[in-house]
Amino acid sequence: MNTPSTSALPDGAGQAEGPGQDLGALLARVARGDHEAFEAIYDQLAGPVYGVARKVLRDPAQSEEVAQEVMLDVWRSASRFDAGRGSAVAWVMTIAHRRAVDRVRAENASVAREQKLAPGPVSGEDVAQLVEMALDRQRVRRCMSSLTTLQAEAIKLAYYGGYTYPQVAGLLGVALGTVKTRVRDGLIRMRDCMEVT
Amino acid sequence: MSVAGHELHLLTGAYAADAVTGAELAEFEKHLAGCATCAEEVRGLRETAARLGMVTAIAPPPGMKDQVLAAASRTRQLPPSSRKLVALGAPRATRRIRHAVSRPAAVAAMSAMAAAVVVLAVFQVNTRDQLKQAQAGDRAIAAVLAAPDARIEMGTPSVGGTVTAVISRSDSQAVVTTADMPDPGGGKVYQLWVINAVGARSAGLMSGSRVNPPSPVLADDVKPGDWLGITIEPAGGSSRPTTTPVVLLSAHA
Repeated sequence: MNTPSTSALPDGAGQAEGPGQDLGALLARVARGDHEAFEAIYDQLAGPVYGVARKVLRDPAQSEEVAQEVMLDVWRSASRFDAGRGSAVAWVMTIAHRRAVDRVRAENASVAREQKLAPGPVSGEDVAQLVEMALDRQRVRRCMSSLTTLQAEAIKLAYYGGYTYPQVAGLLGVALGTVKTRVRDGLIRMRDCMEVT
Repeated sequence: MSVAGHELHLLTGAYAADAVTGAELAEFEKHLAGCATCAEEVRGLRETAARLGMVTAIAPPPGMKDQVLAAASRTRQLPPSSRKLVALGAPRATRRIRHAVSRPAAVAAMSAMAAAVVVLAVFQVNTRDQLKQAQAGDRAIAAVLAAPDARIEMGTPSVGGTVTAVISRSDSQAVVTTADMPDPGGGKVYQLWVINAVGARSAGLMSGSRVNPPSPVLADDVKPGDWLGITIEPAGGSSRPTTTPVVLLSAHA
């Protein structure tokens, strides 16, 4: 029943598993050419990948292009994922964010892009997954509000806005070194805050 | 030297946010290769950045999935990097052939699953109206969960397990789910109530613990100051609570 590449797994392991499967294990199967595992990864991560592209690029058509490239990149380079160097989610989201900002920078981000944190509608039908996402949004919101205004602004402009840190310094009217440290301090605070909640 | 190293170290955050470019990026990545603490910090901050990304999730355009899956089926994959090859041994060279096999198998599996879902749906919901109602309920639930002001309350019932309520003030609605709650036994059921000074209003029966995952219940007209409570009631539920709630969650925002 299963593809030869999943023969090491119990029969039927490639089917009927909903969202929430271990992404690292799925990526290992993708690296062996397993299309079902890739589809499962798509179902879990296409929403966030497309979302982050939209956040940075704004334009739906360009965002879709980037999201497609990212998902194909995941397919192509799944064998390069190394669980020892970070989570599967971070690996995919890093690819997504990099591609989105590369696109912005390639075509000159001279147009001021409005900054908003409000998320759009969530993809996926699975309630457990939606609850998890709502919980995560709440954590991010709460942790973001625990930062200083400058830290939060710098992080939003850099990550969601796709601006380089010298551009962020220009937009906020502060010194380069200040932005450098605020983004770092702010992210460290976010990290610690999200760990405990 | 150490001053330059310290200056570079401060770039971990900006680097994790992909906000470093050009010569400075090259310089930092060179530094990263020889600085274990920096690499460790970047690793952690990348996880944090990824979570900032995860919460932006929106539904991708409907046609995108088919396009991506089709593109994958005609795209050759990269072999493991040499670093991993050392650890894993030589790769086998049959990767391409496997693709040809896996597609039809996947399609067959998907069709079988789809058929099973249809049978189940027909079995559970035997009229069109009920089906429509169920779908409308799912959409309403999804809307609450995706509401920008969605707030989570979690509680530990006295009987064990957990209860999670996602409350949207703007929608005046709450979605309540349970996990690992024991069967109330004796044919009894769990019933959800919206409770305030005026009294308690039933929001419906929570599905039994044997349903996995338990289906969520949508409570309407939930106002700040209200409470969400779950009681054990006789089969079919009651018009007002007859037992002390096993859990109470505050719905005030």
